[in-house]
Amino acid sequence: MTPHDWYVENRVAFVARALEASEERLFSDHLPRCEECRREVARLERDLGALPMAATPVAPRPGLTHHLADAILYRRVWWRRAGPAFAAAAAVILAVGFGMRERQQRSTLTSALTDRERELSALRDTLSIWRESQRVVQRDIAMGNHRGGLLIFDDPTTHRWNVVMHGLPAAPADSVYQFWFITRSGMVRSVELRCDANKPAFATLDMPKTPGPVMGAALTVEPAVNHSPEPHGLELAHVQF
Amino acid sequence: MSPPPDAKPPLGETAASRRPAPLTLAGQSSLRDRLIARDERALVELIDAATPWLLGLVQGILQDQDEAEEVVLETFRIAWDRIATVGDEHEALMPWLLRIARNRAIDRLRRRARWRRKTERAESLGALGPATAPFSGPDESAHPGWHVHESVHAALRTLPEEQQKVVRLAYFGGLTHSEIAQRLGIPMGTVKTRLRLAFDKLRLALAPIQDWVR
Repeated sequence: MTPHDWYVENRVAFVARALEASEERLFSDHLPRCEECRREVARLERDLGALPMAATPVAPRPGLTHHLADAILYRRVWWRRAGPAFAAAAAVILAVGFGMRERQQRSTLTSALTDRERELSALRDTLSIWRESQRVVQRDIAMGNHRGGLLIFDDPTTHRWNVVMHGLPAAPADSVYQFWFITRSGMVRSVELRCDANKPAFATLDMPKTPGPVMGAALTVEPAVNHSPEPHGLELAHVQF
Repeated sequence: MSPPPDAKPPLGETAASRRPAPLTLAGQSSLRDRLIARDERALVELIDAATPWLLGLVQGILQDQDEAEEVVLETFRIAWDRIATVGDEHEALMPWLLRIARNRAIDRLRRRARWRRKTERAESLGALGPATAPFSGPDESAHPGWHVHESVHAALRTLPEEQQKVVRLAYFGGLTHSEIAQRLGIPMGTVKTRLRLAFDKLRLALAPIQDWVR
């Protein structure tokens, strides 16, 4: 007797529900794996499909059939009736949710837009200076192993300079790169330029409010604590127009 | 016994306007199509026609009217919810419903703590009622499905008494092999053999009404 013979012998008992609980589980587990048993069980169920009709029909108590129909259809009616209310509630929740999300998103986007507009404005400004520049002056600067330079774009329309310092290491400890205007009345302290070898420094500078024209510029290394109106440190670049 | 269901026609429909016997083969096919189309009237018609049969079967197994009604409700719910997913589209509606109801009833029976007492009572009452003498009355022959009922009883009558008894306890009483053996005081192997022989004969004897099932 093969293990499968047990299933063959018990197909009828399975359909009749006469197997013990453990046997029934065993058979149920076997069915999905056995095409033959599935087919035979289905055939048995079909062949014996009329057998339950042997039971004597029982007249339902009064109102039972209506109760059954209501109980089944009520679920749908209930859902159908409650549907619009649920839909409205869901719409409100979604609207509030979307509203909050949209407000948050709008705030984030507004902030990002402001930043971009500021950057764009700066770029336009820079571009306008470069485009309108009538003079571009460049000086090479060597500092140890580093080879960098200073670029000055002069915009006579706006009377501003766009200054780029590149290729230089960060300023030595307790020191800064100091930019100077050379005017007819002397040196005028301007901005500190901060950079490192990988990050150039940019600055857009208005002309100093001193009498007479600007004649040139200088870049020096000054002590960070020294705010003297005259340069005292190492001069890296000197430009004369 | 008076088999017709509630006197009140469903959804305002008059008795005269009802469709012809829903438990004929054509009636079942039509009901099935309408149920798939979510026709609520079809559900009401099915409930009207099938409830007496389902109640008879389930009440015979459970011997409890309230529980039987719950099982019948579960059965119609399943039918309404899953009608479109019934695997074999050629299977008739009633055998499918009866199988669901019977399986549900047996599941309940086996979960019950008091099932032994109830099944003893079932045996004493006879779950099928008088097996060879079904009830008679002026309206029975007109009751939907009655011809099937008579044919099945005729088929059961062809079985020897000892096989009828095993079929009654297993199929309509929900008892297992060992419970039947204990009840009848016979070896379990004998129960299995009788059941198998009985079902082999019943398959042949029920063949003439196979059209109703398919």
